[in-house]
Order: sequence, then C-alpha cells, then structure tokens
Amino acid sequence: MKFEKFLLVLTGDADQSVMSAAVQFCKNMNSRLFALYVIEPGRISRLASLTHQKVKIVHNKTEEEGWKLLYLLEDEAVENGVWTSLHLEEGNLLRVIDHYIDSYSIDGLLFKRKDDLKKIFVSSSIPVIGL
Amino acid sequence: MQLKISDHLKLEAIMMEIKAKEKIAAINELVAHMVKYKLVSDGNEFIKALAKRENLESTGIGDGIAIPHARTNAVEDLVLAFARSPKGIDFSSIDGKPSHIIFLIASPEGKKSEYILALAKLSRLLRKHAVRDLLRQAKDPEEIMDIVKKNEE
Repeated sequence: MKFEKFLLVLTGDADQSVMSAAVQFCKNMNSRLFALYVIEPGRISRLASLTHQKVKIVHNKTEEEGWKLLYLLEDEAVENGVWTSLHLEEGNLLRVIDHYIDSYSIDGLLFKRKDDLKKIFVSSSIPVIGL
Repeated sequence: MQLKISDHLKLEAIMMEIKAKEKIAAINELVAHMVKYKLVSDGNEFIKALAKRENLESTGIGDGIAIPHARTNAVEDLVLAFARSPKGIDFSSIDGKPSHIIFLIASPEGKKSEYILALAKLSRLLRKHAVRDLLRQAKDPEEIMDIVKKNEE
C-alpha cells in the first residue's frame, strides 16, 4: 500500500519537534504532507477563563500562533523537498479531521503522541501514527 | 515581536490590475514591478526562490487568495506587494478556485522570525471574509492600504 498523503494534525500544544518529525517522516516515505491546525472553541473558552482574558483575544492569539506553526513547518518542508499544504480550521477536532480525510483522500494521520490519540485511534478509518 | 503588515507594504508595491493570466507570469509581472520601484535588487534570484516554493506547495490558500512568498537576499528588509486579478489566476488553490487577490512576501534569509510572523498575520487578516470583499472592491492603492491598516491588529 502506498501512503501518498499524510495529515499532520496540530492543536494548542503543538511544538516544533513534532513538525520536524513529520517532515522527516514524509521525506522518508516520499509522501505529501497536509498540515492542519485546529482551533477548538472549547479549549479557547477554557483558556480564556483560566487566564482571565477575553475569548476574542485568546482566539486571535491562538489563530496567529497556529499560522506561525504552519509556516514554520512549511519552511522546514521546503528545505527538505517535501510537498506541503497548510490549513487552519475551527471546530470539533474529530469532525474536522474526518472532513479532511474525506476531502483530500488522506492515507494516514500524524499526531503528537500525547494528543487525544486514543479517541482518534478508535474513530479513525485510516492508520494513525503518533510522533 | 511587534509587526505591522502596513509598515512593509508601500503604495508603489500595489498593482490594482495585473495583466498576467497564469501563475508564473503573474509572479514575474509582480516581481518586475517591485524591481522597477527598487523594492527588490535581484529579480531573477527572487523569482527562483519563489518558484522553488511554488513547486512544493500551493500558495493559493483558497477563497480567491494567493500568498507567494520566499526568503531571499534579493531584498534588504521584509517587503510586501499586492496585486489584483479581475479574472483570477490558477495558483493551484486547494479549493480549486482562481486567485483574485495576490499578496507577495519577500524577506531576507536572516529574518526568519519576522517573515513567519508576517505570513501568519497576513493569513489571519485574509481569513476575514469582509476584508477580502473590501480588497476586491477597493478603487486605488490608497484604499487598499487603508483597508489593511484598519483591519490589522
């Protein structure tokens, strides 16, 4: 089976190490890398409440941080000759992932290991790889 | 780091109507315009850097927007340029739609943080439906600049 397209899912706790691992993985697999940052409204509300900030301010910061992560990943991917496509969406994590798997015929999911991996393992129709 | 898109977008870098009908021609036309106004010192080097990215990703981010970008020593500071295409240009957008609004970003090799931040801020700005509509309807470069200034945070 050829894995042509991987989807790296990034959320609020994403970091550079998981992005580097994803780029190297796709380089080795000769695969395309779709990078998706998901803004989860529930997480934004919780964070706003915890930090006593307005939801809009937390949302704006999160969105900007998401784009920064995506473009950092893209920069590394280009250096390594890996084809990338960047996406930022807002909504329920599982629903957004399902939408992307269907829309872009994704062959495998890449996740930061500690992310909500268990529920994604259970619900995913394609292989899930924890980085 | 504080960065404003409007600080790096000069009025002379705004093209209200680009003639090119396809991606590489559009990039060439926009870069030639930047060279003409001395915003880029080496047009060929910049085009080469942009083409490398275009081969490895789609800079058409959907909703009629494309953000071709590259780090290159053909510029001394972070520079943005804007172009509009009434008919739209195929930037291989993920949603399959032609791009009517093109923002081009160039940054020196050594200014990666500034470059990433500019891309992030611009992507955020252009996700707003109202901003996209205003940019499509603007009548002159001053109005484009005004829209950017009023809507960036």
